[in-house]
Amino acid sequence: MRRKAYGRDFGLSSRMFLTMFVLGALYVAFFVVMINVFDFGIVPMVLIVGGLAFLQYYTSDKVALAASGAKVVGPDEAPELHAMVDRLCAMSDLPKPRVAVIPTEMPNAFATGRSPKHSAVAVTEGLWRRLEPREVEGVLAHELSHIANRDVAVMTIASFFAMLAAMLMRMGMWGGMMGGGRNRDGGAPAWLIILVVSLLTYLISTLLILMISRYREYAADRGAALMTGAPEQLMSALQKIASDMVRIPDRDLRQVEGMNAFFIVPTSVKRRAGELFLTHPPLEKRLARLGQIAQEMGRPVAL
Amino acid sequence: MGLTDVLFGRKRLKGAKLDKLFALSTAQVTLEAELGLKAAGVAAVVFKPLSAGEFARAENEIDELLGVAAQTSGADVRRRQDAFGYQWLVVKDRDFEDLVTSVHLVSSELQARGFGEQLLAALFAFEGRERRVFLIYGYKRGAFWPFVPTGEGQERDNAEELRLRSELEGELPIEPDLTRWLGLFDAPLD
Repeated sequence: MRRKAYGRDFGLSSRMFLTMFVLGALYVAFFVVMINVFDFGIVPMVLIVGGLAFLQYYTSDKVALAASGAKVVGPDEAPELHAMVDRLCAMSDLPKPRVAVIPTEMPNAFATGRSPKHSAVAVTEGLWRRLEPREVEGVLAHELSHIANRDVAVMTIASFFAMLAAMLMRMGMWGGMMGGGRNRDGGAPAWLIILVVSLLTYLISTLLILMISRYREYAADRGAALMTGAPEQLMSALQKIASDMVRIPDRDLRQVEGMNAFFIVPTSVKRRAGELFLTHPPLEKRLARLGQIAQEMGRPVAL
Repeated sequence: MGLTDVLFGRKRLKGAKLDKLFALSTAQVTLEAELGLKAAGVAAVVFKPLSAGEFARAENEIDELLGVAAQTSGADVRRRQDAFGYQWLVVKDRDFEDLVTSVHLVSSELQARGFGEQLLAALFAFEGRERRVFLIYGYKRGAFWPFVPTGEGQERDNAEELRLRSELEGELPIEPDLTRWLGLFDAPLD
């Protein structure tokens, strides 16, 4: 008997595909314009940014662990945590990532690494202390889904040209200030074209990248539900994390700024900014989505 | 892992491979004669039902299945639950070959009933020279690995495990990736 695919979400898949497609088209258009304006100058530029992106991709696990102050722990230091990761990895056929603990009270977790073989999952001490073991398992399953879905690779590729556009934008501004740039056949000066096109590319691609990031959170939530078989564990964990986060003073939040895209729940929730500018979907939507999967699985969930 | 899994996220888990389980029956001679590992007459199938409906169905069907297994092989099969929410079907049989057959029967029945993706591992217990030794079969990997808990917390005797690997490599399909050698501490085998 073949199992039915729980949490199959055709709408989400098609939106994800559309977003990636639009982003790809945008990048192609950007590249074409830049080639025309720059002639061959764009090629070394792409190589530089490509190199940077590759470096970032290649060192993502080490950088993220170091930036968050996470300490890799062995099975003797955190036996229960390791046992949970062990079982989840075996169930989802993943190599075991390194396990790290972040010494902060704020309950949170993140996963990083360019491939399942070079990955790490980190949880804060606060998460371990404040959440029930089952809830921690839900959070770990969410993070392992990020690893299984290769989110670091996907997001690196998605933001590659956005990085390039940002760099050119800065150069364009600089060129404008210096009053440089030659007129091409009486048309607009090159720096202006570069500035405008880069700016547009940067703005639109940033929105699209954030959109992809939010979709991938839904996908990881679904993966967690599959791995643990219990979406309600992650649901109560998300609620606890979100409600705790509001109570923790700002000092802690600032320390971990810049790590937002990695965390299971972003640390600073700017409600007024609206969903469009968030790396994560709003809590209510994630809970609703998980509740739906729980319902499909026939699990009792109090919403 | 296909491309669609990377693009859209995984929607299902990998299924179980059962065919390599029988390699254990043929390897038993070596285990006992050369490694001094005597079968302890107990094994277990570890899995986790997904949904509540599935769980209720599983309860009935598994009890039925346990009856079938008991009748065909004369094995004693019991159901246990661990602290992580996994179900353990503990099989007891003095005859090692029957034990392996029963474990295979239980797993293939579970697979036939739609729990294939939910199978975590099978565990076989042996009495070693100094302490109890386990061989774990990972259903997703279709391979075995040794597991030797020292009995002190969550400690494993890695030296012994690696020694067993080198001895067993010709006999059994051994999981080559050490990071996948999951441990199963405090197995509810009684």
